[in-house]
Amino acid sequence: MTAFLEVENLEQRFDVSGGPLDRLRFENGVPTMARRIVHAVNGVSFEIQRGEVLGLVGESGCGKSTVAKTIARIYRPTGGAIRVDGEDVSQYDYRKMLPVRRKVQMIFQDPFASLNPRQRVRDIVMEPMIQHAEPGDKTIEKRAMELLARVGLRPEHADRYPHQFSGGQRQRIGIARALSVDPQLVIADEPVSALDVSIQAQILNLMMDLRDEFGLSYLFITHDLSVVRHISDRIGVMYLGFMVETAPRDKLFEEPLHPYTRALLSAAPAIDPDPEAEEEIELTGEVPNAFDLPSGCCFRTRCPFAFERCSRERPVLKEAASGHQVACHLLDGET
Amino acid sequence: MSVQKQALLEVRDLKTRFYTFAGVVNAVDGVSFSVGRGEILGLVGESGGGKSVIGFSILGLIDPPGKVDDGEILFGGVDLRRKSEKELQKIRGKEIAMVFQDPMTSLNPLQTVGEQIDEMLRLHSDLDGKARRARCIEMLSDVGISEAEKRLNNYPHQFSGGMRQRVVIAIAMIAGPQLIIADEPTTALDVTIQSQILKLMKQQVREREASMILITHDLAVVSQMADEIVVLYCGKIVEKGPKQDLISKPAHPYTQGLLGSIPKLHDRQDRLTQIPGTVPDVRNLPQGCNFRERCPFAQARCAEEEPEQHALDAGRSVACHFPLEQELAP
Ligand SMILES: Nc1ncnc2c1ncn2[C@@H]1O[C@H](COP(=O)(O)OP(=O)(O)OP(=O)(O)O)[C@@H](O)[C@H]1O
Ligand SMILES: Nc1ncnc2c1ncn2[C@@H]1O[C@H](COP(=O)(O)OP(=O)(O)O)[C@@H](O)[C@H]1O
Ligand code: SF4
Ligand code: SF4
Ligand SMILES: [Mg+2]
Ligand SMILES: [Mg+2]
Repeated sequence: MTAFLEVENLEQRFDVSGGPLDRLRFENGVPTMARRIVHAVNGVSFEIQRGEVLGLVGESGCGKSTVAKTIARIYRPTGGAIRVDGEDVSQYDYRKMLPVRRKVQMIFQDPFASLNPRQRVRDIVMEPMIQHAEPGDKTIEKRAMELLARVGLRPEHADRYPHQFSGGQRQRIGIARALSVDPQLVIADEPVSALDVSIQAQILNLMMDLRDEFGLSYLFITHDLSVVRHISDRIGVMYLGFMVETAPRDKLFEEPLHPYTRALLSAAPAIDPDPEAEEEIELTGEVPNAFDLPSGCCFRTRCPFAFERCSRERPVLKEAASGHQVACHLLDGET
Repeated sequence: MSVQKQALLEVRDLKTRFYTFAGVVNAVDGVSFSVGRGEILGLVGESGGGKSVIGFSILGLIDPPGKVDDGEILFGGVDLRRKSEKELQKIRGKEIAMVFQDPMTSLNPLQTVGEQIDEMLRLHSDLDGKARRARCIEMLSDVGISEAEKRLNNYPHQFSGGMRQRVVIAIAMIAGPQLIIADEPTTALDVTIQSQILKLMKQQVREREASMILITHDLAVVSQMADEIVVLYCGKIVEKGPKQDLISKPAHPYTQGLLGSIPKLHDRQDRLTQIPGTVPDVRNLPQGCNFRERCPFAQARCAEEEPEQHALDAGRSVACHFPLEQELAP
């Protein structure tokens, strides 16, 4: 069986040049129209199987949210394919996306900004269902109430407005809304990052239970390595719009291969420090900006192991072991 | 360990309230703790616990409708609450420095980084211009900024988030303060930058034999940095003690719940042990123990009587009628 979601060579560029006057530059006295292009996502490929949780980690600005929004087709990709259930939706228009939206739902980091402040909770949860149901369908309201109960809200909450809820409760409302149309894949962009730890644990437990109950797949995006280890079956690590490593969860934590992954893992604070921790890889410098990508490897400006080939040639994701892919020239030996 | 060391700061029964239209908020409700010389104290707890208000209270920076209503803040034996605003201004920056979450709140966007570091020396030292400039360059390279001399002429917006926080640390450290209060200093930063900044702060504090109060919601950060930990819940200390003991054997059910809520990085479990419910409304706290409605061990007494802070072994104390089993000291 094919994977539920296949993303192939996904590319997302944003043109932030502005109007003609913003763009006008003089180079050696010759007027030119300069362009400023943000290279947010640069040829990312991955799959999500039915029932699988793929965690996507990386530091801020590495393109996680852009991947999420492009797959949810909030953005149209500038390149590559997005196959949902075998169907390439990358260039679909709004109307053709409607039936696909039913299968792929999204929840966001800031539950407050993502809920309409003037809608009652009941209507918020019912809205996606109404888009897909026959007019006058009476079962919708019943299902909304069932879902609210399932995510841990009380019946009287249905008639309140979002501002009357805490962050954790708002996230529960967002989850109920996403699940209302029976999706197969839920894209969750930093769903617990704005929450206090005790509430974060409640939401993570709820999401794990719902996945088992409804057989969901998740694309779970977070910058928190403990969270990603907790929730994922497989993990992808992004840097500067590139996927640098993907591996099964434990494999990634026990045998990280890409120098960036290793640096990220050794920087993560832990209350249970690893007794057998390898020598730490400490990074200096900061992430380059996404306007001018470095030549060759995206990580070479900070990589302690960079060698001549790294600035000349861009490494591609290669299978290092079964299910474990890495984009680094070190894999071919240092020549 | 650090128990015998002489305290640099001693906070006794601090009460800070906000008199809002919607009612009185007991943001800090009778908090006592001390910070030894050379010690790093972690203040942890969830949002609204009172961490930041404690920091601002120590610095004398609580504005109306807020007020420090009661308690003593003994700094080197002298009560800061008895100092005038003018005296406090001399202490802030020179004796006690602060570092906040968002470096842009502490930096002036219209002044060069060099001017801002230099201002601290002008206010708090008698060095002449040339000596001050040399100190500024030295300080900036100490916090890991390369080509420091050139960088002095840059404005804050010419630095990345991580580098701005380095500049803030340079400003905080340059007058040689004895105490640094850092409120979520790395919360806005990426993990690899966070780890650089935390190492830098620890190194600076240790090298100068200064003390630090590190305020954070992140127990993992605190467990890496602190010598002593104070856990807050609804404006009260629920538990305090040396870092290692407190993390490996929490005595208060809330501390235990917090630790169980954090996914482990190396030792994965299938479910997190969660704390049910949410933090109660501070304007409407329950009778008895504040944690009662979320506590798996609550009994009748917890609803009637508010638990007092009482000492356990090894420099620890807890405010709970039924603290979790502690192994007896041998
Ligand atoms: N200016 C203010 N007016 C009214 N109430 C306030 C004010 N500042 C703080 N409070 C209240 O005081 C309590 C403690 O707040 P504080 O900011 O110290 O929490 P915190 O532990 O630092 O939380 P966080 O982790 O969110 O920073 C909260 O209930 C808060 O709502
Ligand atoms: N709508 C947009 N217009 C222009 N640039 C964008 C837009 N959205 C994201 N970017 C840029 O794309 C890059 C990736 O951003 P994002 O996907 O939000 O990263 P992450 O979610 O990993 O923090 C960043 O450089 C960001 O500034
Ligand atoms: S390809 Fe070169 S620069 Fe890139 S991660 Fe590997 S060793 Fe480092
Ligand atoms: S005093 Fe009672 S309710 Fe409060 S933490 Fe202890 S056992 Fe729980
Ligand atoms: Mg994002
Ligand atoms: Mg705070």
